[in-house]
Amino acid sequence: MSGPQKPLELILARNLLTSVTTPAFLVARDGTLLFYNEGAGALIGRPFEDIGQLDLDEWTRRFGPFDDDDEPLPFDRLPLTRALREGRPAHDEFTVRSADGVKHRIAASAMPIVGAASGASGAMVIFWPVDENQAREVTTGRHEVAS
Amino acid sequence: MKVRVWGARGSVPAPGPEMNRYGGNTSCVELTLSSGETLILDAGTGIRTLGFSLPPDLERINILLTHLHLDHIQGLMFFPPCFRAESNIRIFGPSSPEASLEARIARYISAPLSPVEVRELPCDVSFHDAPATEWQIGAATIRAEAITHRGPTLGYRITDGDTSLCYIPDHEPGLGADLENLNEEWISGYNLARDADLLIHDCQYTDEEYPGHEGWGHSPITATLTFASRVGAKRTLLFHHDPLHTDSFLDDLHRSARRCWEDLGGNPEQIGIAAERAELTFEGQPSAAPAEARIAV
Repeated sequence: MSGPQKPLELILARNLLTSVTTPAFLVARDGTLLFYNEGAGALIGRPFEDIGQLDLDEWTRRFGPFDDDDEPLPFDRLPLTRALREGRPAHDEFTVRSADGVKHRIAASAMPIVGAASGASGAMVIFWPVDENQAREVTTGRHEVAS
Repeated sequence: MKVRVWGARGSVPAPGPEMNRYGGNTSCVELTLSSGETLILDAGTGIRTLGFSLPPDLERINILLTHLHLDHIQGLMFFPPCFRAESNIRIFGPSSPEASLEARIARYISAPLSPVEVRELPCDVSFHDAPATEWQIGAATIRAEAITHRGPTLGYRITDGDTSLCYIPDHEPGLGADLENLNEEWISGYNLARDADLLIHDCQYTDEEYPGHEGWGHSPITATLTFASRVGAKRTLLFHHDPLHTDSFLDDLHRSARRCWEDLGGNPEQIGIAAERAELTFEGQPSAAPAEARIAV
């Protein structure tokens, strides 16, 4: 299924994320998960092609995030929300759950994407495992996407 | 709508006897609308000779610039109507948060690069950021959208009645993207080019040349044709020829493109290659072409 063509800055952001191993999400202004790359797919246990675009409620239900007490993290505390709301980068650490139920402690940095023509169109969220060994595996591309 | 090519070369003018048939002038295309109004797409060196062909009493001229790389604006300073007080020239181009369109073009039309300054031009010239929404010039409805190239760059879709032309002379939609399989909403330029009667599109490189030029903002044959196929263009004119490509090289490139298009399931007659002074006249479907031989379809 397809909709209207995305703004160029989102197209280019997706192209960039496709080309890097650092796990990353691309999110629309309304919080819809538009795309995640293979690095992110490795961490959450499912390739994007299996999942497709998800609205905000659906992807937070599936993957979290959760706080230190394993409680769902309020959406307005997420770096993504802060980046979209405040128009500036934001960073935090929290836990996400992969498709097989395993929890991963991650650090995430969100960066707003503001296009020349379309204004604020979304955000890019780059994240990596807090565990050093796992982070090294992911960020150097020595991982496999579960299929 | 009548289309006349005044410059099909990319990057830098490439004069010389081995370039005679396709020409050495850089990007410039003239559109004559059904209302008789003239639209000029880009102001590469081809616009100089275009200027000499315009009626001397033509007062209003509209120029749509895709971007401000030199091969798309170099001819402006030598465009004869710029030096007529009666001329009213409106120039549209990409906006920038850094400076106005006039200020950015004035970097070229100013000392030490130029003997004249924009403010010294005797014509009435105005500069406009291309609107974010459709706008009208004469019989044409025009839409501009940002597309994948280096620096802020627009593509244009011009609709005159039921005829549509899409002009994207500098475009690398396949950069970091699987054009063949990507959902269309993620393809740069898709909205502009969808179902266009004529797509004038970047095809600067052969597939063999492309790996050495990836990320330079231009397309190889396969990407150009895959794009044309995905958008459903009824006819495609290969454009923005590399300055190293001689007439015989471009003949070969054209043959390869037509074979490739056939492999994609298309009719090779749909793939033309732009040559200087070539003309196409079409209503919906391109019809008689007075300079058909030079279109080399």
